[in-house]
Amino acid sequence: MEFEPQVIIKIAAYVGGGLCMGIGAVGAAIGEGYTAALANEAVSRNKDLSGDIFKSMLVGQAIAESASIFALVIAILLLFMDIPVPSLLKASALLGAGISMGFGAMGSGVGSGFPGGQACKGISRQPKMTGRLTTNMLIGSAVCQTPAIFALVVALILMFIDFGNVPLNPTWAALLGAGISMGLSAIGSGYGGGMAGGASCEGIARNPETVSSVTTIMLVGQAVTQTPCIFGLLVSFILMFKAFPETTALSPSMALLGAGISMGFGGLGPGIGNGMAAEGAVRWVARNVKHQSELMRTMLVGQAVSQSTAIYAMVISLVLIFVV
Amino acid sequence: METIRQIQKKYCTRAITAAIFAGFFLILAGQKPVAKGLILATFFSILNFILMGETLPLRIGKSKGKTFMLALSSIYFRYIILAIPLIMSIKFEQLNLFATIVGIFMVQIVILADHALKIILSTREKQV
Repeated sequence: MEFEPQVIIKIAAYVGGGLCMGIGAVGAAIGEGYTAALANEAVSRNKDLSGDIFKSMLVGQAIAESASIFALVIAILLLFMDIPVPSLLKASALLGAGISMGFGAMGSGVGSGFPGGQACKGISRQPKMTGRLTTNMLIGSAVCQTPAIFALVVALILMFIDFGNVPLNPTWAALLGAGISMGLSAIGSGYGGGMAGGASCEGIARNPETVSSVTTIMLVGQAVTQTPCIFGLLVSFILMFKAFPETTALSPSMALLGAGISMGFGGLGPGIGNGMAAEGAVRWVARNVKHQSELMRTMLVGQAVSQSTAIYAMVISLVLIFVV
Repeated sequence: METIRQIQKKYCTRAITAAIFAGFFLILAGQKPVAKGLILATFFSILNFILMGETLPLRIGKSKGKTFMLALSSIYFRYIILAIPLIMSIKFEQLNLFATIVGIFMVQIVILADHALKIILSTREKQV
């Protein structure tokens, strides 16, 4: 059975669209479930505030859902977009786009649930801090969306840039690898960023006087947590825009696919690890604000060490791209 | 539950007002497909936000597993509705795709803009 390029394009677009929406929705659902679970706890703690708690939950979930709406946009484009010049290379790019956005939305979806849940819980403990808790929840959730935005950018590039004049082999693997690198590395950063955002809401509820210190450490922690997905973005861009010489051998293609897999999985763990370090620092600065600078230093050292594995993964990816 | 209604009313009114104002100026500038796409998608964004609020109480008082399944079902149901303007903008040239994509985020944009404005105003008040 032989397939026309048009048929292969359709298959790639449908599989990519399915992966994109299926995986993208799971992240948001887990995040929403977590928020609702903590809202339960908050309502049972202080039933009189159920209106405020529901209100924060609704606003938080509206922002938390952005990542999975990005996935919806890409999935719909993949399913219904017309491809003017069908080629096997485009099929690979479309599949890569679906993978990038699907996985990219997952971490942000789960992570955004943490600030939402902790804000609901915090409102029941400190009703007077409702406004500030909502603000920190929104900042935390919005920063969590960064990896999903990177994944969206990579998916759009893969879908709309014309790769027509480059050789099919090994570029197909580079484009697929670009999607894998971005999508998987975004999971850890999205999830980790949410951990820091959640701890900030918890900290403000515990000790409202530390609000500015908690917010500062949260933002620094979240910024460093995004680094592994920036590495993923970098490797994706190299894979998408570097010109590779034509070859009939399979090994160069596998090297490029391996580069994407290396950076994708390699960025996943450090993102979560960085988030844990940030979560710890934010949580403890609320309890012991006098030691803010020591806690910040410890967090940054911890994040730097956790980051090293992402750097190793990036080095291996670059070796696979430029040396092998 | 009155506060959920209030918050929905507040953000939905602002979102549709912003879309209509932007649409009005876009039509004056001769960008009719952009204006149509923006307003149509904003309407669906509002519908999504209202449905989200309606399904929230269903998730309370359930186990984590049930909440997750309810959230997942809610997402799929609401996203089928959100997909309508996107498919329409791909199929019909009268609707601009980019404006439609912006429009389906209109409620989120309004929420973030509202809080950003509050932060700016409170910072200024502190400085004064």
